[in-house]
Amino acid sequence: MLRPRVIVCLDVKDGRVVKGTKFKGLRDVGDPVELARRYETEGADEIVFLDISASHEGRGTLLDTVRRTAEVLFIPLTVGGGVRTADDMHALLRAGADKVSVNSGAVRNPEVLTHGAERFGSQCVVASIDAAWTDEGAAGPGWYHHTHGGRRPTELEAVAWARACVERGAGEILLTSIDRDGVRTGYDLELTRAVAEAVPVPVIASGGAGNAEHLRDGFTEGRAAAVLLAGILHDGLTTVGALKEALVGWDVPVRTAVLDPDGEVSP
Amino acid sequence: MSRIALFDYGAGNLHSLAKGLEAGGARVSVTADWGEALAMDALVLPGVGSFGAAVRALEGHETRVRDALLDGLPCLGICLGMQLLFPESEEGAGVGIGLIPGRVRKLRARTVPQMGWNDVEADAAPDPLLSELGAFTAYYANSYVCDVDDGEAVIAESEYEGERYPAAVRRARSWGVQFHPEKSSTPGLQLLRNFLAQVDGTEAAPGGDR
Repeated sequence: MLRPRVIVCLDVKDGRVVKGTKFKGLRDVGDPVELARRYETEGADEIVFLDISASHEGRGTLLDTVRRTAEVLFIPLTVGGGVRTADDMHALLRAGADKVSVNSGAVRNPEVLTHGAERFGSQCVVASIDAAWTDEGAAGPGWYHHTHGGRRPTELEAVAWARACVERGAGEILLTSIDRDGVRTGYDLELTRAVAEAVPVPVIASGGAGNAEHLRDGFTEGRAAAVLLAGILHDGLTTVGALKEALVGWDVPVRTAVLDPDGEVSP
Repeated sequence: MSRIALFDYGAGNLHSLAKGLEAGGARVSVTADWGEALAMDALVLPGVGSFGAAVRALEGHETRVRDALLDGLPCLGICLGMQLLFPESEEGAGVGIGLIPGRVRKLRARTVPQMGWNDVEADAAPDPLLSELGAFTAYYANSYVCDVDDGEAVIAESEYEGERYPAAVRRARSWGVQFHPEKSSTPGLQLLRNFLAQVDGTEAAPGGDR
């Protein structure tokens, strides 16, 4: 049975993990290599690094961070932020990413998804969609995709854009609700479900996780294949292990084998 | 210390797999040269890249590689690397190594790729590749699976959206796994150690440091 996944996201800036709300107000929460490894030990199913460095130097630092992480992390690592070309994807994959997520780069040039899928396989290509509800969107009221870390609206309606990304070659959709990001009131279940039912690839629900119920609802009502969380873990409010224990109690069949700090499996 | 050739088709992440093998005590050489690869103690075909890129790298060398594997060179094919052990794939034109009779076909499921952790069900008396593992979950990222002509080659199975498929196969001293051991945390690293023990002709050391 394929297990619903719990994914931990780390926003990385200039080689450090930072956390903000609504894409603003950043603070330092630690070393990405150390945190990624810790979350594997706690039972995370995957790690996502979203690079929010603006500078060129930040990009070089990112490749180094990915390289050092891949040496000690033995669960999948997705890396996104600033990816524009298949060559950018190649550099991240060679550094040690297993998947690369693309957001603004795909809006500018959707062919990047196709080129990436042809060269590396669609299982490496994640389309990242940052959606916010808009009453006056180009095609009427609906969720619209935003670029540049959620700051810049586009005329792309989120469900249609998700379909287009999959047709171009994306093998997974990372779907973040801008409205819910950092507010901890739960995932946008309507948005998640609308996209999950529209595309034949896995959808990761993101933005809004505050507790285990939110994760459960993301899987059941939102129909997500995976849920992504960040802030509640970085703030020490809960652990991946505690969240998974609650999920198992509700018969959500997440993977439960976790490691003790020595790296041994406990059932 | 075994010398392991990690074949590079030119795409994707080889880093974690190399580190996983090194953690098991191997010396890993990343190479795109079949002559060099077949001269080592064992061959690992990684699971990243597209089928097209991989068969282009193999073109003209299929027979030579198959002969080496039939002759007993230990090999571990991972995901796409497992699929390369078969003669052909629906994913694209080109010829595989053809060590294991059968064909590679697309998953019939609604949601493809299969992405995530799935249960691996091994035989009651598991193949040495799967010893010490018990029941475990492993990480998959695949759109294609292998149909095997001779069921004897299948040493473990998984199920996805009602469809059963080989999780692991074996012929001679060659193994294929459809999942990614280098991404499957502790059980995956144990599997890599088991493979290295087979290369060395010793028993796998259980557990150990990462």
